[in-house]
Amino acid sequence: MTTAPTHEDVPIQAAPGVHRKRFWSVRPASDRESGDAIASNFLLHWFPAKSYKPSLAWSYSFWLGTISAALLLLLVVSGLPLLVLYVPSVERAYGSVKDIEYVVTFGSWIRSVHRLSAHLMVAVVFLHLARVFLTGAYKNGFGRGQKREWNWVIGVGLFLATLLLSFTGYLLPWDQLAYWAITVGTNIASSIPFIGPSVREMLLGGRTIDQPTLIRFYVLHVIFLPAGVGALFGYHMWRVRKDGGLAAADRAATLREKAPSSPVPTKTYTLLGVARGTQPWVRISSTETKDLTVSSVPDLLRRMLIVILGTMAVVSILAVFIASPLEEPANPLVTPNPAKAPWYFLWLQEIVTDTTIRLGSFTINGAFLGGVVLPGVLITLLTIWPWLDRSPREAAGVWFAKTRWRQNVVFLILVLFVVAFTYVGLVMRGPYWHFYWPWETWPDLPTRI
Amino acid sequence: MVDKNRRDFLIKTGIGAGAVALAAQGAASLRSLVPNVSYDAPTTVKLGVPNDFPEGMRFLPDQRLFVFREGAVFHAVSAVCTHLGCTVRAEALPAAETKIVEGHPLRLTHQFLCPCHGSKYSGDGGNVSGPAPKPLAWYHLSLSADDGELVVDLAREVGREFRLTLA
Repeated sequence: MTTAPTHEDVPIQAAPGVHRKRFWSVRPASDRESGDAIASNFLLHWFPAKSYKPSLAWSYSFWLGTISAALLLLLVVSGLPLLVLYVPSVERAYGSVKDIEYVVTFGSWIRSVHRLSAHLMVAVVFLHLARVFLTGAYKNGFGRGQKREWNWVIGVGLFLATLLLSFTGYLLPWDQLAYWAITVGTNIASSIPFIGPSVREMLLGGRTIDQPTLIRFYVLHVIFLPAGVGALFGYHMWRVRKDGGLAAADRAATLREKAPSSPVPTKTYTLLGVARGTQPWVRISSTETKDLTVSSVPDLLRRMLIVILGTMAVVSILAVFIASPLEEPANPLVTPNPAKAPWYFLWLQEIVTDTTIRLGSFTINGAFLGGVVLPGVLITLLTIWPWLDRSPREAAGVWFAKTRWRQNVVFLILVLFVVAFTYVGLVMRGPYWHFYWPWETWPDLPTRI
Repeated sequence: MVDKNRRDFLIKTGIGAGAVALAAQGAASLRSLVPNVSYDAPTTVKLGVPNDFPEGMRFLPDQRLFVFREGAVFHAVSAVCTHLGCTVRAEALPAAETKIVEGHPLRLTHQFLCPCHGSKYSGDGGNVSGPAPKPLAWYHLSLSADDGELVVDLAREVGREFRLTLA
């Protein structure tokens, strides 16, 4: 009985010029296979072969996405030693952070790198979001199979994840800031009608803030949220490639097509290409014209490395000079006066202050209106905006496109409100959250009872 | 044909069983995160003998409670802001005033201010300004039968007419 030759029977014939390498996952047997291996290799296609010059421009994207990614990298790397040094226990968390700050060699610097990267990441991710909005870059341009609106949705998710990571992060030192942030944060959740109290109990791991609370937020901070951000980030980058790069590139391609140009070199590769053209040749696409594109390696790679290196340098140097604060140990008995959230949540703190509405005997708690409903509406609007935007596709990838001026103005006004509320919370709120003008001095009140 | 149906059936059963098993395991894992036991502090707390309480107001941080004494009459007001749960601070009024609360006169010596979002309460716990949606809670006070200590029941809210009058 004869059997078909199995894989082991046939010595693997390498293609001419292909040598066996111990760490190669494929051994191409022919030129065609080696070509396929290159074509299907993910790492070799992180970048496209060619990049549009306009999408590399510093003044188009300000490279905010790359800076965000660099900050994420810094956060992961600086988080690793902290993961070893920090103890997620109510009794020892504060002490371990204090040790990181004052005892561990370079501990203070590592913690500062982590904290500054986090603060900068909130800012830069938001600026990135604003850039994408103002350039209409969530819009599909002229490429086929584009789903930029979904990448925008992922981006909004990444922004929220960034905020949650920051929130869960500043709880971990278990100082006064942490304790009262958890109190306020989980009471906002608790203000949701019907399910609120159960949500709060689930977050706290009980009805009071204690060890189960700390370990829950710790696990969210070091496992679930980073894993979520990692997955979303991977998909975000993949979609950028699938959508044909930045929206500016689409525009560059169309502009090129419209402009009367000198005859470009022509070529055809396939019968179909010939069949579809009006003449027996296909016009070379503008992606390959030399004046609009550059090779991704090294041009894109070099700029990316400059941005990453620059981000790392700035954060590392800032971390030497800016120490991370550590408030008094968490004290359930005393609320600090005033008790202020970090700057990026101050607008929310201001809103929950101002949104308690009384209609006769009926009262809507500002915690629910300002803490749940309003942010929920804003996030929903932000998420579905690409489907509400009816501007023409020529507006994709253009700063302040004329056809989108109304939505850009509305967006900027909302941003202005957030910035104004943040400023009020930062500068104009004193003890008992009373309003003070910047030139007024706060009364000298005891910070403890 | 018979064979194909059987294979089809087995494949679908297998996928279905797998999905059910995954869902059940996922649900079990999530359920484990819902606490079955809450190690809360007891809600009925002894506060000490009544005579240790000064005339006027005393703040008990552990219970987040203000205990007021007017001679032999006691009442207790929560220090937990009804807006988002921060601990309010008492500020003595320049001069005590008497107000009729729920049909009973009440001597007000303080007002309460929240450091988190600026809510302001009057001495009887009424929400005066700021985002607080309702008044501070009043809790039930009693005397313990065994040693005569003042006992607060933090799970039992009472109306603002409540007073504990010692014999």
